[in-house]
Amino acid sequence: MNSMTGDLLETVVKIAFVIGLNLGFFAPMLGWVERKQSAVMQDRIGANRAGVFGFTFIGLLHSAADAIKLIFKEDFIPRGADRMMHTLAPVIAVVPALAAFAVIPFGGKFELAGHNVNLVIADLDVGLLFVFAIASIATYGAVIAGWASNNNWSMLGGLRSAAQMFSYEVTMGLTIIGLVMYYQSLSLVVIAEKQVDFWHWGIIYQWPAFILFLTCAIAENKRIPFDVPEAESELVAGYFTEYSGMKFIMFWTAEFIEVVTISALCVTMFFGAYHLPFISPDMLVSIFGGGDFGAIVAMLIGIGVFVAKICALIFLQMAIRWTLPRFRYDQVMALGWKIILPASLIWIFLTGLAILLGLMPTV
Amino acid sequence: MAIKIKKIEKGDGLTLWEKSYLPEIIRGLGITLSHFATNMKSLVDEFALGKGRDSRTIMTLYYPEEQPVIPPAYRGRPVLVSDKNGVEKCVACGLCEAACPPACIHILGGERDNGDRFPRSYVLDGSRCIFCGLCEEACPKEAIVMSDEWRNLCQYDRTKMIYEKETLLRSEAQVQKRLDFIRSNSFSRDRY
Repeated sequence: MNSMTGDLLETVVKIAFVIGLNLGFFAPMLGWVERKQSAVMQDRIGANRAGVFGFTFIGLLHSAADAIKLIFKEDFIPRGADRMMHTLAPVIAVVPALAAFAVIPFGGKFELAGHNVNLVIADLDVGLLFVFAIASIATYGAVIAGWASNNNWSMLGGLRSAAQMFSYEVTMGLTIIGLVMYYQSLSLVVIAEKQVDFWHWGIIYQWPAFILFLTCAIAENKRIPFDVPEAESELVAGYFTEYSGMKFIMFWTAEFIEVVTISALCVTMFFGAYHLPFISPDMLVSIFGGGDFGAIVAMLIGIGVFVAKICALIFLQMAIRWTLPRFRYDQVMALGWKIILPASLIWIFLTGLAILLGLMPTV
Repeated sequence: MAIKIKKIEKGDGLTLWEKSYLPEIIRGLGITLSHFATNMKSLVDEFALGKGRDSRTIMTLYYPEEQPVIPPAYRGRPVLVSDKNGVEKCVACGLCEAACPPACIHILGGERDNGDRFPRSYVLDGSRCIFCGLCEEACPKEAIVMSDEWRNLCQYDRTKMIYEKETLLRSEAQVQKRLDFIRSNSFSRDRY
């Protein structure tokens, strides 16, 4: 097998893994997690009726039931709507959410049978910039959906999401400048590798950046407490009021995959990526006897650790979503421009000062 | 005389700690997550460790599989009580008919060979009944009581809601809890 075929095969396998993980595992599981976690948090039982031959599997089959129901529903396009844009909008919403995963390393670098395997789809030097660029495309999904539906509620939801997402994008970029200064790199692969040492995990020196980034990311994802674009008590369902069937499920999926993407970004930047604390991948390889077998085991452990950390952060995001009430629209904008933006600028200044004075040694 | 006006400033009543929001978010997360932990533990206790229903902290019943015990004070469908021979106790005196506010009871009295009076037909229109229990209070023979039956009180077809004597007849054992209740001190006519 020559090198090029090997690279191609490796890339295809990695893309299949990431898409399978997101669409096949996380998207349906999050539907279940959202229902059941909120139920248990609020002293309820939660969805538990869907079942096959009397087996309900703690309500897990509800995701499948939802999918089957929505596939057979009428695909409705309102009169006067822009048919092409109306159909295009959910695609624009769901693709960037998946594409951002291309630059997130999920397992480290290993040597397998003389072939270097780097567990990231695209090892970009400007990985973080790529993530933000892709994330801003997702804005168009919501805006176009709101505009193309020919509906007042959708229009208002689209306007709100445009204002909110553009504001928070600016802020979100600034919140992690401090982190970039600390790691001296924009590449997520490099940032992940530099967190081999537990004391270099981003959360230790950069925890204010984590709080600011998580807030901005949740606002960017338009989830409660920042879900003013779809505020069901004011705007029916906001920008996707006029969507049904599979198009509706695509917006739903996009939201869930963005939850996963945010978690993956936070894990990569703040929580040591795929590393176990105090155990480097090289140590893992040698513990399991070295060679190809050791590399494969270490690789699987790395992926498992990464997925487990993502799950923990998803739990945190869901807990936030089911704890807080929705902000008023002006409060959302004021929080973004008057609090988080100055706070992130101050944090950039403090980080710069600390690095200059040697209080925060760069990695 | 002019009133001396005292101006009162109404703030939002929040301290600076609460206004800074982040500590309050963490406090709220603490509350919800402690509920999550308690409920998860009780669910694991019940379903994985088999400690039984009593360990559950979630109040909701898994409805069709678990159903609540209806208390005797519950006023469900009014039913006729039969004696040991399976014959209705009703003597067709018509007191329930007279007491019924929506006039949903229609009795046609008759006389047996031994001179006992009995209802030749006893029709209770369930679509008009308001479940007030006045028929039960008016009855001198404990022949009509409010049962704990609540299923099929609603129908798509009104003719299915008109109950005849035969469909209303219940043995004493079936309504024993209600009979005990209306004989007890806790059941007082003044309370209605």
